[in-house]
This record gives sequence, structure tokens and C-alpha cells, in this order.
Amino acid sequence: MSSRDLVLMTAPLREDFTIPCHEIGPMAPPVVSFVSGLHGDEINGIYILARLADFLKSVESGAYPKLRLVQRVLIIPAVNVLGANTLRRAWPFDQSDQNRMFPGNQMGETTQRIAYTVLEATKKSTYRVDLHSSNLYFEELPQVRIYDPTPEEQENARLFGLSAIMERSVSPVFTTTLMYSWKYWPGQNFLLQVGQAGSIQLPHCQQVFRGLVSFLGRIGVLEGVEVAEADQEALYFTRECSVRIYADRAGMFVSDKNLGGWVTKGQELGYIYDSFNGNVRTKVVAPAAGLLTGIRRQPMLFEGDLLVRICTKGG
Amino acid sequence: MPESSLSISTSCILSLEMPYSEQLCIRRTVYRGGDGPRAAIVAGIHGDELEGLYVCQLLADWLEQLGRDNPAGLAGTVELYPAMNPLGLDTLTRAIPVFDTDLNRNFPGGSSGDLPKRIAHAAMENLAGAALVIDIHASNIYLREIPQVRINTDFADSLVPMAQRLNLDLIWLHGAMTVLEATIAHSLNSIGTPCLVVEMGVGMRITPDYCRQLMSGILTLWKDLGVLAPDVELPPLNHLPLIADDSNVHYLNAPTSGLFVPVIEHWADVRKGQLLGNIVSPLQGGVLAEVRSPVDGILFTLREYPLVYEGSLMARVMARKGRLS
Repeated sequence: MSSRDLVLMTAPLREDFTIPCHEIGPMAPPVVSFVSGLHGDEINGIYILARLADFLKSVESGAYPKLRLVQRVLIIPAVNVLGANTLRRAWPFDQSDQNRMFPGNQMGETTQRIAYTVLEATKKSTYRVDLHSSNLYFEELPQVRIYDPTPEEQENARLFGLSAIMERSVSPVFTTTLMYSWKYWPGQNFLLQVGQAGSIQLPHCQQVFRGLVSFLGRIGVLEGVEVAEADQEALYFTRECSVRIYADRAGMFVSDKNLGGWVTKGQELGYIYDSFNGNVRTKVVAPAAGLLTGIRRQPMLFEGDLLVRICTKGG
Repeated sequence: MPESSLSISTSCILSLEMPYSEQLCIRRTVYRGGDGPRAAIVAGIHGDELEGLYVCQLLADWLEQLGRDNPAGLAGTVELYPAMNPLGLDTLTRAIPVFDTDLNRNFPGGSSGDLPKRIAHAAMENLAGAALVIDIHASNIYLREIPQVRINTDFADSLVPMAQRLNLDLIWLHGAMTVLEATIAHSLNSIGTPCLVVEMGVGMRITPDYCRQLMSGILTLWKDLGVLAPDVELPPLNHLPLIADDSNVHYLNAPTSGLFVPVIEHWADVRKGQLLGNIVSPLQGGVLAEVRSPVDGILFTLREYPLVYEGSLMARVMARKGRLS
């Protein structure tokens, strides 16, 4: 059976509640686990993983004669099923953040039980990938994030073929995330940050979908994938490469810029307007040259809000 | 008695432009008496918790009366911060709206950065150095709590003696939890400003009896610290706290989903095996699950919001461990 219920729980007023997952490939413990939708409004990841499941099932059924799935893959497109169905980021019933409930507890709160089950299902995979989509306000260039990475993770982050790799340290504030729990287990962990929550940005999704297929090819799980060596070279950014621009005034931020382009120092990136009288309050300019990797899409600003992130080359 | 005055002033500790036209202001009221120590009350960190707002009102009333009857009775300074998360209170939201973040996970904050960090920073700047800060919470909308102080074991030695004077019914000692390092209490205690966290009642409601009970304890503690003059008359303390920690608190999580209907009043002595409530299904008759106490003890948390998912917390029972003397 290629789909099963990872969690089966009662619901107060409707049919039993499940978190379905796909297990595709030869019968064996999954070598790769993909997880998304810990936040119910992060739809890019749900879309990408659902499409990946469809693709791998087609591979398995022989629809792509050149491709062969030689190891098992686990895919959970949406952990927060109720959130995905009600367009909520948090677990809707008690507003708790499913990605602050790890490692979970089999006998604890609902979200702790879900966390426990997700961790149990994924922790023994050699490769573990968690897909996220920023939030409703901010758009992220598709990127691989690695946290206090091992040399293997630093090397293999390039196998996704995405243009940016961001190295981060594990913050003590995030000890209750899935990523943090994964790090206790042997294996490699990657977090893909894709676009903006609340909608699908198709070009980002297509890029990441290709990246996941190429990753599966390069780690030998999916044989027959043709990976062009000429794929764009991934840029590796440590935290120090990250230049952030914050709003110096409240108002409306409007920009016509797209992510993934290179900006020069002093280049205009957008404007903060007074949202009552329309006056320009601030012209936002790039403080340094670099790759535009993140931009605010929700325009209503408080002073101090993050507007833009630029990653400087070799910074 | 020497002539003295008690001054009252309200001001903003942080003022910030909002996206459209309005200004956000975090207000406090300061009652300034003599040169004695400074004490502060913080409330409304979560926008759905109102018990602390009412305690602030009771204290404000009491201090105004003191100003009329015995102005020298205020030997130090009192600061009330009833609404640290005004946008949450405006919108009936626990977190800070727009930012969708728990203010009490953003301490110590920063002078630049986003709104939650700025509120946290302004709070830290203004509260640092106080003889005592009391941060009042009201559980959440799901659970009702008896009046209690929660203390991180890292700071137990200095805080428990003060907590014993707060006229509450429980002191709950918690092990160090990394995520709680971002709370106001942990941040203040870490810089040597004592901060006690009070939890009582239930979200979106006030429980006047609890609020008055806590007020008596706060006044007693203020007098102990010298914020109030020795001659100020206070209501007697009539509650002694039980002590709880990880060893004697039992959690009752729902074994199935449904409507939890308690058959017992909150805050009662219970026996092992005693029926506390039932989980029933609105779709059919009968009982889906019985909820029974796992130990002899005291029911100190009881679910207020009846709908439960599998795993939802319905009650906490504390096995008796004795009172602090």
C-alpha cells in the first residue's frame, strides 16, 4: 500500500481525523522523508510534495521507463491537516504551533501526539527534508537552510540545485521544532524555504520540484535522472552574508522587485508611503550589493518591520 | 504623621506609529510616594487574559484611597502596566495581532526590530531594578486555574519566600525549559530583578474573588519590601500555598474526542478513582469516556472550554505533598 494514515484520531463532531502519508518505492524503511504543512497556510510545500508523490507513483508504475525508484520515500504533504483545510497557520483547535511541539508526547496534547508520530515516522531516514513557506507577509527565494550543519549537510545542500543555501545556527528558542528533534538522530537534515504562505507561487514550486527530483537522483534513490552539471551554481550564505533592511517608518511598503535578482548598492527597491495622505516617507535603497533573497509582500508596516533581505556574495 | 504627598501620573513607555494613521502606546500609571523601593504589576501580556487588568484596577483604587487617607503610607513607588499587549486586547487575540507572535516569547527584545521586540525591550528597560515585578496571567480560554505562582526552579531560592506571602493557594515549581527563557519573568530574574508569575482564573473572564485574594497578597508583599509604610493597615492573609512540582502533578488528557462535562466543582479534594467528568458525544447518547482521578489529591486545573480533541488537557490533579510552613 503506498498511502497510509500516519495518525488516526477521533474528532469531536465528525469522522475520525487522519494525517495521511505516502510511502513509495521498494518495501523497506524509508531512506528519505519529506514533510510539509506543519503550518497549515504554507501551501507551496503541500503542493510540491503532493505533486512529488504523484510523480514518484508514476515512476513506480512504469510511466517513465528511464527512471527507477530504488529506495523507499516517505512523503507527508500536510501535517497540520485541519489547518490546511481551514487556511490556518496554527493547529486550529487550540491555536498551538505544530512546529513548537516536538519531540512530542504520545500521551500529551493533541499536537504533541501528532509531533511524536511524525518524528517516529521520519527520524530514522538517512535524509530528512522539511518544506516551509515563510509566512503571509514575506516571500523567500527558494533556498536550502541548514542548521549548525555537518560537512555532509554542507556538501549535500547543493544537490537540490537551488540558487541559495543559507547556513544558520540552531537557536535555543527553536528547540521544540521538528528540525531540532531530527538533529538528535544520525542522518542529514534540510529545511527548504519556498516563497510565501497563503498562496502558490508556481515558478518557485516548479523550481523546487525539479530540485527535489534532482536531489533524489543525486543521492541514488531515483535512478536515471539526468542532472545537468550546468545547473546553476548554488551560492552559500552564512548568517554574516545576510543584510536586512528594516522599516524606519510605519506606512505602506510597495515594491515592484522580484526575488532572485542581483541588486547594486544604492539601487531603489521600493517606497514607504504614508497610508493616509500618500506622501512618500522613505525611498528604500539597497545598502549593499547582493542577491535579493527575501521581500515583504504584505504592505502595511509598523516601524521596525523587516522589508528586504539581501545576501552579499562572499560576505 | 509627617505631611506627605502621593503623586499619580500616566505615561507611555513606548509610542509607535501604526500602519494607518494611529499611534500605539503602551501605558503605565505610576504612584510615587517616598524614596522607598519600587514595585510593578504587569498584566495583559496575552490579549485574552483579563484577570490582571482587574487586579490593576483594584490596586489603583486602593492606592488612590491611600493617597486620600494616608499619603505617607506609600513609602516607595508603584507602577501598574495593565495592558502590555494593547492590540491583542483590542482584537481579543492572545498573541500580538499582525505579528502572530506570543509577546511572552520575545523577551528581552531589542530597541530596534519589530513591534514585539520593542514592547519587550521597553518593558525590560522600565522594569529593571524594581524590588519586585508581578506578572499576572489568566491561564487561557480552555483551562481554569486556582490562584498560583509559577516559579522556575533556577530562581526558587529567592522567589519562593516571596511567593509564600502572596496569599495564593499553590506554588508550582517548574524545571528549566529552554523555550521559557524568552519570557518576561525569566529575563527579569536573569538580570536580578525578581519577578513572580501569577496564573489564575480563565481567559476572557474575570474571577473577582481571585483578584481580591491576590490583591491582599500583593499589598502584604509590598509592605514586607518597604514599598508600603509599616503603619499601613492591610487585610489579613487567609491562604497558605500548597507546593507542586513535576513529582506530584498529574495531567489528565482526553482519551477520545467529544464534549467534556465535569461532574465536580473546580478546586476540590478528590480521591483516587473518583469520577471528575465524562466525555460525551453530541451526536449520540451515552458516555464515550469517563474521566477519573489517578490519585488522592486536589483538582487545581479544570477545563473550562468543553469541546475536546483526543489529547486535550481536561484537568490537573496534584497529589498532596504538604504545605509550605
